[in-house]
Amino acid sequence: MNKNFEKFYKKLKEALPSSDWSHIPLTKGLPPERADVVIVGGGVIGWSIAYWLKMKEPRKETLRVLVVERDLTYSRASTTLSVGGIRQQFSMPENIQMTQFSAKFLRNINVHLGVLNEPPIDIQFNPSGYLFLASEDGAAVLEDNVRIQRTEGANTYLLSPTELKKKYSWLNTDGVALASYGPENEGWFDPWSLLNGFRRKAISMGVYHCCGEVVVQMPHSAEIQPVECAIVVNAAGPWSGKVAEMAGIGTGPPDTIQGIKLPVEPKKRYVYVWHCPDGPGLECPMLIDTTGAYFRREGCGGNYLGGISPTEEEEPDISDLEVDHNFFKESVWPKLAHRVPTFECLKEKSSWAGYYDYNTFDQNAVLGIHPLVTNMYFATGFSGHGLQQSSSGPAIAELIVKGKYDAIDLQKFSFDRIVRGEPILERNII
Amino acid sequence: MLKIIIPTIFLLPVILLSNPKSTWMNFFINNLLISATSLTILKPQINTEWKFSSPYTGLDHISSPLLVLTTWLLPLMTLASQNSLKKEPYERKQLFLITLTLLQTFLLGAFCATDLALFYIMFEATLIPTLIIITRWGNQPERLNAGMYFLFYTLTASLPLLIALLTLYNLNNTLLITILHFLPQNTNPPSTSFFLWGACMMAFLVKMPLYGLHLWLPKAHVEAPIAGSMVLAAILLKLGGYGIIRTITMLTPMTKTMSIPFITLSLWGVVMTSLICLRQTDLKSLIAYSSVSHMGLVTAASLIHTEWSLTGAIILMVAHGLVSSALFCLSNFNYERINNRTLLLVRSMQLIMPLLSTWWLLFNLLNMALPPTINLMGELLIITAMFNWSPPTILITGAGVVLTACYSLHMFLTTQHSKFSNHLASMQMTNTREHLLMSLHMIPMVLLMFKPELVWSGTY
Repeated sequence: MNKNFEKFYKKLKEALPSSDWSHIPLTKGLPPERADVVIVGGGVIGWSIAYWLKMKEPRKETLRVLVVERDLTYSRASTTLSVGGIRQQFSMPENIQMTQFSAKFLRNINVHLGVLNEPPIDIQFNPSGYLFLASEDGAAVLEDNVRIQRTEGANTYLLSPTELKKKYSWLNTDGVALASYGPENEGWFDPWSLLNGFRRKAISMGVYHCCGEVVVQMPHSAEIQPVECAIVVNAAGPWSGKVAEMAGIGTGPPDTIQGIKLPVEPKKRYVYVWHCPDGPGLECPMLIDTTGAYFRREGCGGNYLGGISPTEEEEPDISDLEVDHNFFKESVWPKLAHRVPTFECLKEKSSWAGYYDYNTFDQNAVLGIHPLVTNMYFATGFSGHGLQQSSSGPAIAELIVKGKYDAIDLQKFSFDRIVRGEPILERNII
Repeated sequence: MLKIIIPTIFLLPVILLSNPKSTWMNFFINNLLISATSLTILKPQINTEWKFSSPYTGLDHISSPLLVLTTWLLPLMTLASQNSLKKEPYERKQLFLITLTLLQTFLLGAFCATDLALFYIMFEATLIPTLIIITRWGNQPERLNAGMYFLFYTLTASLPLLIALLTLYNLNNTLLITILHFLPQNTNPPSTSFFLWGACMMAFLVKMPLYGLHLWLPKAHVEAPIAGSMVLAAILLKLGGYGIIRTITMLTPMTKTMSIPFITLSLWGVVMTSLICLRQTDLKSLIAYSSVSHMGLVTAASLIHTEWSLTGAIILMVAHGLVSSALFCLSNFNYERINNRTLLLVRSMQLIMPLLSTWWLLFNLLNMALPPTINLMGELLIITAMFNWSPPTILITGAGVVLTACYSLHMFLTTQHSKFSNHLASMQMTNTREHLLMSLHMIPMVLLMFKPELVWSGTY
């Protein structure tokens, strides 16, 4: 009797105007047929843009935003496989400003991304700083970079080899001419919590999301749902090039604007975790060696993680995410052991591989509109520093809502530089 | 009348037997010919004259402007839908035009019916083709919900109308408007009069729409395709006004008391919906609420039923029909290019399509009743008549006029003058078809400005 009443009550509620009931059985999880902005890619950049779009719209419910992500387990996503570092030590002022904004955002993350009645986000931000080491050849560039960073208000300072030795006793300063250290706004954090924070907050603000591939195809069915939209934001990370090709960018005679592809390709990078009982202690920053190898402390139990960007010839195959352990033994270990003598005896505990959305043109972000396909916005090509520049989210949101960049002027990163063939090169690249 | 109704019915063979390449053209040209023929109806006429009388049909000074509006609007609807239906298969396009033709026939029947029963049948019959247009050719999944709202609001309110008409027939042995108008008032017990009044009026009040019962209108207007929006805004709403004007003469003793809450509601609705317009983020929704606002004035005017207010109501109905339909067409031009109606994303059109900006300006100015247009003539007559009926109404109607100007300007400034968005840079230019559509909306307004006697009913 009670059950009948409950059923009746449920039916009555569905009959009221505000319910979702429709007499046609709809497949669950389908995206809405029409959206204003579709964001392709549900990594940290995609969700950050969704969140900022909802923050910047002048009134609630103005924009219908849809985030499309093909793999909800994020097994191959660059965000979750990232090392999670954030630094201000770039050589371009815009890069520095972007990461400064990110750091400020992360410090107050629960103010920004807190949702009522849900547990707060623990981003595990370790502000241990980045330490860049430069040899004789790179010393002048490093000094110049530090000067630019200090102009932008970053607190980086230079260290001579003797000062280095005093500060970090475990460091072998052989071959180091100069070092630069950033004590605040730099360090590492947990990318998965940031992604979830953005996602949770954006969904609570009314962003739609669906799992599927563009052109939206549901993963385990042959259903294709066309989503009519006004603007597409390409935040697909390493696969942005393919998404752009779907829109016709790059298909065309070689000498035309249409024929210029979006130069973002996936490149595989390895990260290794090892245990060393006598390694550097809690003061260990994220150290970037003169050779390009890097490592940082992971937790407090003597674990470290690190890697190196392979050279052109050693570029690994991108078809899968298998790790090459030889690479560690041959390329990473010797360099790190030279720099930190106690790393002679270490035990490799685990490793993983992830993709960089590598911008083959100049390894910097591509942000903004395409000149021909005027409703595709790019937010990709970060080449390894996407997580720290997830504050380009508000920039793109401003571009969509207000039509121009407001806080940080990111006009330099537009697609036009690829058309004109003028690379903007960053001088410290990991 | 047959010279209009028969060609309209015979548009059906035109659609079915035309060469696929020239169906739209044939349909459009034939429609224009019918419109031209119907223009002969528009003559300044005396209050009680019925023209083109036949046993079943006839036109008088109230129905002729609305009839001409109906015939004028069908070619405009075909012109507007041509682009949105480009990708459909040919049979479906034919079906669309057949639905439009059927709707047109029923509307013509409704406006030239002299028998209230025929009017009722045609009134109900217009619901079906409109429902088909909204639910089949609309763009979003919400259109199903919108169609249901539209259908059931009107049906629920109009079933009592059927009972009321049967009662009237029982009492008076006739339902001809021409006679009912002159019959002595029945001395019914007050309870009967109360229900009779309510039953007769509710259907039309829902259709107008009255402010409290207007929920179906934004949904239906927003989800309908452009032809559906045009016909809904321009003509179907006027069916409600026409119905009120026709039936209220038979219900006179009760009207003095019973109409007061509805007049209050509709005047309040004028102000409220104007305020809602200022908050809208969806362009079509804004225009839909502005329709409710104008129709609120018309409802109030038809309910007080003085000579000036009736004249004002009819002029405002004609003027609003053309302006509203034009505004929907303009928003559809944006929608076809960007697939989006959000005001936020459709800005600064003047930089991209400056000629269209002229039309935007003109129709927004008309919407806010700029002198010397006929919108102003209608609104002035209504406001003056309302003031005469009860002086405090001037506060509400005055506020309504100011707010109408506010949201019309807001609509214009946001779509034309706001910050430019980069993603609008490569939109297609306006084509001749769109300019033709706009000028065909504008020409009657301009001509009527110079000779309003054509639609100026009654008090002339």
